[in-house]
Amino acid sequence: MSTIVSLRGVKKQFNGFEALRGVNLDVESGEIVVVLGPSGAGKSTMLRTINYLIQPDDGEVFFEGQNLSTVTPGELRRIRAKIGFVFQHFNLFSHLNALDNVAIGRVKVKGESWDDARKEAMKYLEKVGMANKAYNYPSQLSGGQKQRVAIARALAMEPDVLLFDEPTSALDPSLVGEVLKVMKNLALEGRTMIVVTHEMGFAKSVATRIVYMENGIVVEESSPQQFFTFPESNEARNFISSILERI
Amino acid sequence: MKVLQMKEEEISMKKRQVRIDQNLKRIVGKIFTAAGIVLLAAVFYFAIAKVYPFNWGVVLKYRTMFLKGLTVTFQVSAVSIFISFGLGLVFSIMKTSKVGFFKDIAAIYVWIFRNTPLLVVILLTYYGVGTILHLNRFWAAVLALSLFEGAYMTEIIRSGIEAVDPGEIEAAHSLGMTNLQIFLSIVFPQAIRISLPPLIGQMISLVKDSSLASVIALGELTMMGRQVGTSSFATFESYIIVAFIYIMLTSVLSILGRYLERRMSLA
Repeated sequence: MSTIVSLRGVKKQFNGFEALRGVNLDVESGEIVVVLGPSGAGKSTMLRTINYLIQPDDGEVFFEGQNLSTVTPGELRRIRAKIGFVFQHFNLFSHLNALDNVAIGRVKVKGESWDDARKEAMKYLEKVGMANKAYNYPSQLSGGQKQRVAIARALAMEPDVLLFDEPTSALDPSLVGEVLKVMKNLALEGRTMIVVTHEMGFAKSVATRIVYMENGIVVEESSPQQFFTFPESNEARNFISSILERI
Repeated sequence: MKVLQMKEEEISMKKRQVRIDQNLKRIVGKIFTAAGIVLLAAVFYFAIAKVYPFNWGVVLKYRTMFLKGLTVTFQVSAVSIFISFGLGLVFSIMKTSKVGFFKDIAAIYVWIFRNTPLLVVILLTYYGVGTILHLNRFWAAVLALSLFEGAYMTEIIRSGIEAVDPGEIEAAHSLGMTNLQIFLSIVFPQAIRISLPPLIGQMISLVKDSSLASVIALGELTMMGRQVGTSSFATFESYIIVAFIYIMLTSVLSILGRYLERRMSLA
């Protein structure tokens, strides 16, 4: 196994607020890392530093051995194309139908023709069970359907790693299942995934490793079994007991 | 099975019938409204005619002058719409750019031309800039109208650009697209669709505002109307015709706008 993503002492401030205070993280290819932690812990910020949607103030980000702070803008775009990103609010292009949402990356970034890209895009829509809605616009889709199209859009770039930023947090509870099912299938394919989520069931059953963050640092890393039964840190213990209280 | 099919056909027939009935109702309603307006206008017309003897014959003798005025108004407006839209595009892009210098230039442009009366802008371009650059009346009017309306179009397109969801731009970056690709294929198409209705409104304003060019004696519609009025002594009639022609001209624009809006709206 090779290290695909690696963060070294990554720091980020927003108007004086320290979102990241020195994050270290290594992700091997084939791993499914679930990042847990209370809101404001810096999970989303950390995820965005991996493809440099957010540029860290300090520290280094490596993707497949390349230091992102030293690459050219063109190389950065090529690296971003290899990192699939799924957003909390889907962020589908609202003026394009589902099919073109999935195809546009292949056209603009990989230089394919629209015809070829649409043919490929259809395969990815089939994979997430959205082929029958290929010609619908995002406004005509439910939240769960939008998120599945967004996953297909990320997959269509044939990425080496998939990043999920709370992919089910904006969904109606009844629609969470369909998205998690797609994500589980991707996990079974052996894809490398880094998932920020509050879905504890998913974390417990799918993750190969849990990363627990709080106050801008990684507090604990362990296997799901260990994390949910014998968490080492006080922070993680409090977090889990606060979740258990709610059930 | 067959019975079911027949039932379905019957239902779809009934649905179609209901749709036709609704359309008919709408059209009849519109005809009634139109008839009412015509009747009201006729009442007013005959009431005024009692004190002011309308003389349409005199005015119609000058129809070539109205036609000439219409032609010039059309030409000034068409060229100015084209240029002002171009100015609006360029300055709105500058205003939403990350470069402070461009932003400032665009802000100053908008500030100047939204805070100067169009009449003054026309006088400045013709008697000021025009004398230096040797602009004739037509091009002085085009320059003034384009600069003035372009400032409003800048603000309209800018608001359209800013209305595009930043999340979509983030998503485009995550796919590895370049800034230019993101602007051309994600931001711009949406910005134009969002700003189309107010843009059409601004273009209609431009057509009407072109009447102010009569102040520099450009032979456009309003100027011609005044000339016909003074030489035929049928001022009222002449200006009624001028107003009617403006309404027709701007109506064409609104119909075109509605057609474009429908074409660009998402299914």
